[in-house]
Order: sequence, then structure tokens, then C-alpha cells
Amino acid sequence: MRFETGQLDRGVILILVGLAVFVLVLATLPTPRTTPDEVTPRGDFAIVDVLLFDGEQFQEHRDVWVEQGRIKAVGRKLALPDDLPRVAGQGRTLLPGLIDAHVHSFGDVLSDSVRFGATTVLDQFTALDLTPNRVADRSSIGFSGAADLFSAGMLATAPGGHGTQYGMQVDTLTAPEQARDWVRARKEEGSDWIKIVIEDGSAYDFQLAALDRATIAAVIEAAHAEDLLAVAHVSRLSAALMAVELGIDGLVHVWADQLISDADAARIADAGVFVTPTLAVIASVAGQTPSRDLAGSLDADLLSAMQSSTLEGQFGATSEHDLDIALQNVGRLHRAGVTILAGTDVPNPGTASGLSLHVELDLLVQAGLTPAEALAAATSLAATAYGLDDRGRVADQQLADLVLIAGDIRGDVSFSSRIARLWKDGEPVTRRLQRKPDQAFPMAPSVTLISSFDTGLESSFGAGWFPSTDDVRGGQSAAELEVVDGALRISGDIKPGFPFPWAGAIWFPGDQPMAPLDFSGRTTLRFRARGDQRNYTVMVFGASMPAGAPPSASFQVSDQWSQLEFPLDGFNVGGVISGLSFVAQAPHGTFQLEIDDVIID
Amino acid sequence: MDAAIRATVNRMDFSRRLRVYALESRAQFLSVWRVPAFSVPTLVFPLMFYVFFGIIMGTRGLSLVMPTYLLATYGVFGIIGPALFGFGLGLSTERSDGTLLLKQTTPMPPAAYLVAKLSMALLFSSLIILGLFCMGGYLAGVELYRWQWFTLAGVLLLSTLPFCAMGLAIGTWVKAQAAMALVNAVYLPMAFLSGLWFPVMAFPTVLQKLANIFPAYHAAQLCLKVIDMDQGQSAVLHLGVLIFYTMAFLALAAVGMRRPLA
Repeated sequence: MRFETGQLDRGVILILVGLAVFVLVLATLPTPRTTPDEVTPRGDFAIVDVLLFDGEQFQEHRDVWVEQGRIKAVGRKLALPDDLPRVAGQGRTLLPGLIDAHVHSFGDVLSDSVRFGATTVLDQFTALDLTPNRVADRSSIGFSGAADLFSAGMLATAPGGHGTQYGMQVDTLTAPEQARDWVRARKEEGSDWIKIVIEDGSAYDFQLAALDRATIAAVIEAAHAEDLLAVAHVSRLSAALMAVELGIDGLVHVWADQLISDADAARIADAGVFVTPTLAVIASVAGQTPSRDLAGSLDADLLSAMQSSTLEGQFGATSEHDLDIALQNVGRLHRAGVTILAGTDVPNPGTASGLSLHVELDLLVQAGLTPAEALAAATSLAATAYGLDDRGRVADQQLADLVLIAGDIRGDVSFSSRIARLWKDGEPVTRRLQRKPDQAFPMAPSVTLISSFDTGLESSFGAGWFPSTDDVRGGQSAAELEVVDGALRISGDIKPGFPFPWAGAIWFPGDQPMAPLDFSGRTTLRFRARGDQRNYTVMVFGASMPAGAPPSASFQVSDQWSQLEFPLDGFNVGGVISGLSFVAQAPHGTFQLEIDDVIID
Repeated sequence: MDAAIRATVNRMDFSRRLRVYALESRAQFLSVWRVPAFSVPTLVFPLMFYVFFGIIMGTRGLSLVMPTYLLATYGVFGIIGPALFGFGLGLSTERSDGTLLLKQTTPMPPAAYLVAKLSMALLFSSLIILGLFCMGGYLAGVELYRWQWFTLAGVLLLSTLPFCAMGLAIGTWVKAQAAMALVNAVYLPMAFLSGLWFPVMAFPTVLQKLANIFPAYHAAQLCLKVIDMDQGQSAVLHLGVLIFYTMAFLALAAVGMRRPLA
């Protein structure tokens, strides 16, 4: 037998060539094309091969196609146009924009929320005229830098009841007969639902005037007659059960006073009432600091001044609030089949807008929800409960509010430090804040006595004293300054016209109004005061105008002179002062306040 | 004589032995390639079906799920053909017409005959895989990660083994005329019931359960696992079933070979 060597070598070469061709062809077959990671596409784009939480459940290997700020298609292996930018989804989780079902919108709440993925917030009490564009913003495509806002607007409470202590004018109720007109007035103002306060303060160790049962029932009935949801603030189990009995649609806190029985939990479930526990704020009331702890693990440029400031806040009262009871109640309600929504009650002390929603998700999981159930509480369930049909889900025609997270979050919902990309209405959201370099301000003269008013209105330095009222914000309040017997007498009238009315006096330390001076090294603001018996407020303005209320402290005076002292640290302005004001706020009415010997030392 | 041949073969050094294998493989491939009745259907049918169901019908909507899914399942359909026909029909024909007997009288190691048939099957499978993948990737718009393209190709090539064994068993037990009928009777129904033409999810539950008995179903599920489109059963189960079938058919074939030709 002979072997033809040449023929065989040719055969070997042929096999090798064949193998090479086989490998080469495989190596050049089309692979998923993705846009480089440094670019965040806007408008029309797709996220490909991602672990999707669609609002209800997890789905693997999904493509999400966004077109003009809305979701055009969701599915496996979508036939995407060749030129469509694609974000790599492999190894990442995509969520619908989150819905924080309990906030109070002022200051930076909306912009801070959206930077942490809470693209929609449900406000449970604010002054609606502060946000005149909210309806246009939330119903149009295009990102304004803020979360979409839906709001209860004004809340239903008794004169002097919970909600009246924040310095804004509240339209209170005293009798069931007022309910219909009151609810209509809210609808006129643009309230998206009705929030009712059922709170006598007892869970917080103080006494508060509260609506009576008949009035609560009448407001709920009137809300339903106007096709509005009625939700209630409660802090006790007894209040919750009464609200459910009266036909409430939702409870916007869970109670921490006692455990609910399985039978009562079943009743709430049968009534179809949803519960937004707001465990993040209850933790803070109970003296715990989960939001601050989470913030400590994040880059500093993710936190706004307002977030940093609210995180530092604390509830003063030592109450019997017990987070464990609240957690167990949530667990029992959830097991009974009650719809649980995720809400934070930001920007209350110890919370931070947006960030605390991540804390809430964690706490909901601690209470016994699965990660998917906790995420549903912050997305589809909130949308369904409040009748928002264009958000809360990743599905055709929903708004392209999307949160892309590094990693698989099925095991662990604490993902705030892992947000890889964020879109609102298909537009990228910039998460990090541009920090202004620390500015150097002129040092304040070393003299500590600002004004003794012995010879008139002058001060030892600065632009001097001026009246300050809400007329700069469209209000009607008035104030007048005069020096009488060596003291500054501020008299004025607080009138309706602005939700947070004020009138008083302001002193500018710089040559120009609001020009900051460096007061570092000084620790205390001191002054003497007397006047009408009511609450007054001292405000200290820092280097920049705050978006919300400036750092302030309240004080009371009598007709006798008293000496008052405030540590400057408490105003959180970092030693820089551009203005110092002494003002009266709500309630409406005239006032007279005298100030003397103002010292910063 | 037998001992003499053995002695000759044993004296053959490794490179010579390799040449025997290579030449026999080449001869097997050419003999099959030159029979259009075999090569055309096995090569063209999977590709043709894929064009029709995967590309023309499969890419109508917004989704590329069908062309992607069918890439794996027509791949399995494609590799079954050469394995079943090459071994089943080839062996029974060569047994019937005496070719095998002739080969057995040469000093060629008996294994070379089997290796040659396997090489032939793998070569045909490779051609089918390349054809399918190119059509899927370039015509249907299927995109897979590079590791998926390679793994899918690898799993498909490995999946030829149980069907080669199945062909071997048929070839040893059935006469040439009957083999053609039997192979066809197995090939098409098994392909259909294993979800190679239509996704098994579309079947009634009973048929979905029934699919579990076919090696083609498990090969397809293993391939679909590579592209995350399988039914969610364990890869170990699929591998186990395929190994079981391979061993069982090989055992059957071993018994069959010892039977005298009818």
C-alpha cells in the first residue's frame, strides 16, 4: 500500500484552511453594537439586553426602545434601526422611574428627588401656588431638571391642628358642613387628591386640635363626590381604623403605637385601602439615622445643600415611636394583601429627597416585602393607586423615565450608589452637582456689636437695616422700622397673599444688600427683644439665596425685655452671613416687636 | 490472515496511521458529496427552511426573537441530517452491498471507518452552521455576543454525536431499503416534536412534555440555553439525556454489528 504524501499534505492544509475559515467567519458575525459608555444618549435610543424590572416583575434579556421621550417597544431581541444609539444593558438592571408617594415639595425637593431616580413625587401638602408649572411640566415631554409633581395641595385640618405649624396659611375646617366647599376650593386650586389630617398629637407627646369624626367623614364623602381620592395622615392604629371605616382610600403613614391584628389588617385589605408607611421618616422620629448612614457612603457631590441640611436635622421629641412596631405593621398589612406604597415624607428632619426613597425600599424589604414587591411599591402600585397611567411601568407608550443600575438588584435593593444612568422623559439626568469653588468673602470687621440703636438705625458696619416683607414674592404683608427709646421697633401686619407670609426687619452686613461677609470665628448671635406675644423668627442668610426657606430659628417674646442667644452653627451657613432678619410669620394679623443690642461674637 | 493484517497495522507508525484516517475520511466525504441525493437535502433544507421561516416570516414584526431562536433549532435540525443519513443510510448500504466487508479486509483500522464517517458528519455540520449563522447574522439581523456564536457552534458540533450513534444503531440493525424509510420516519417527526421548526412553547402541554423523550429536544434546549431562550431546564439534564442516548445507541450498535448480515 502506498501513500501519496503530496496529496495528504494538501489535505492537511485544506483542513487547516477550513478550520481557519470556520473560526474567522464565526469571529466576524454581528455582535450587539452598543454606544460607548461615556455617552448617554437622549431622545431616541435603546437599552439592550438588560435585566428589566417592568414595574411588576423581573424579565431577563430585554431591549427597551425609547422614542421621543416615550417607550416605543419593550421585548427580546428587538429589531432596532442600525443607527439607533444603544446603551449596553448586560450586567445591569433597568427600572421605571421611581415614584415617591409622600413628599412635601419645596426648596430643592423636586430636583434632588429626580437626581436619585424619583422621577415622580406625590406631594401630601404644599402651597400649590409655589409650583404654578407643575401640570404643564408633568404632562409635557421634556426634562425641566425636576421630578414631576402631583399634589394634594392644602390639607384638611382643624384650626391649630397638624399642618398649621409650618408658617403657611392653612384653610382650616371646623364643621362637616364646610367640607363640600372646602373640597371644591381644593379642586379649583388644582389639588390632585385630598389629604386629611387625623392627628391629635398624642403619638408625639403633645396636644393638637384635630378634626372630629363627622368632619373627616364629610371631607371623604365630598372628595369622592368630586371624583378625588381621599388619603389620611394617621399616627395611631385607632385613627387608621377609623379612617378605613369612614371610607378613606389611602393612609399615608403607618402607625408605630401598636401592632395591628390580623383581622384588622384583613379589613384594610378588603376595603382596598393602600398604605404608604413612610418608614424612612418614622426611623428618624425613632431616633435612627438610616438616611444619614446611606449618605455617608455616597460621593459628596451627589448631595445638595438642602439634602445635607435635612439629613442633619432631628426630631426633637423623645416619643414612644418604635420603628420595629412600624416594620411589623407593614409586614402584617402586606401579608394580609394590603397594597403598600413607597413614600418618604421628605424633606423632614433626618431624611433627604430622593436618597431616602432608597432607604424606604430597604426598610420595606426588612418589613417582609420581596425586592420585586418593594420596587413595585415604588413604581406600578403607586401609579395605579393614584391613577397615573403614563408612568410606573416600562411598557409601550409609558414615559421614558428610566433608572439603569449597575449589577443585578434582585438580591439587594440598596442601589442608590449604583445608578449608572438616569433618564427623565428620555433626557439624561445629571446626577452630580457642579460645586462652586469655595469663594473667599471679605472678613467682617472685628467689632461684635452690630447695632445698639442708641442714636438711630445705623449699624457699626454694613448696608444697615431695612424693612423686609413678602411683597417681594407677591404678598401683601407690611412692616415699618423706627428707633424708639434706643431700640428698634418693628411694627407690621401679616396679610394673606403669599403662602408663607412674613414681615420684619433685615440687616445687611456687606456694603450692598445680600453681599456676604466672612464671620468665621464667631459663634453666637445675641440680642434683646420684647413685643407682642407671638412667634417670631430670626433668619440667617448665607453665601447664596436658598431655594427654600432660609435657615431660621423661632423665638417668643413678652412685654418684658429678654436676652436671646442663638449658636451660629445652628443656621448652617458656614460662617458666611449676607443677611440677618427678624420677622413675624403666620398667623395673619398685626404685630409689634422691639429688638436691641444685636451682637455677633 | 486476520493476524497478519493486525501485525501490519500494528507496525504502522503514528503518521501513517493518521494518513489512513485522513484518506478514509476524504473518501467518505467525497463519496457522500458526490451523491446529490444526500448532500443537497442535508445542506440545503435547513438553510431553505431558515430563509422561509426565520427570515421571510420571522422578521416581519419589531422583534428578532424568531430568527434568533430558529438559528439554534435549525442548527440542530441541520446537524441531525448528515449524522443520521451518513451513519444510518451509509452504514446499512455499505453493509448490504459488501463495501464494508471489503474495507474490513484491508489493513485499515476498523476505527478509521467510524472516524471517517464522523469527520464527514462534522464537516457537513460545519458547513450548515456557517451557512445558517451567516444568513442569520447578515440577512436576518441576528446579533449574538461573540462567545455565544462560538459556544453555539461548539454545542451544535458536539450535538452531532448522539445522532451519529443513533444512525450507527439504525445502520447496524436495518437493511438498506428499510433504513431509508426508518431514518426519514425518525428524522422529520422528531425534528418537529422537539421544537426545531416551531418553538416548543407553542405546543400543547402534552406535546411539550412528550418532547422531553427526544434527544433532539435536549440538543435544541442546550443550544437555546447559550442564547438564553431555553425552557429553563437544567443544562445537566440535557447533557445527561444526550450522553445516555449516545451510550445506549452505541451499545445497540455494538450488538447489531455482531449480528450476521441477513
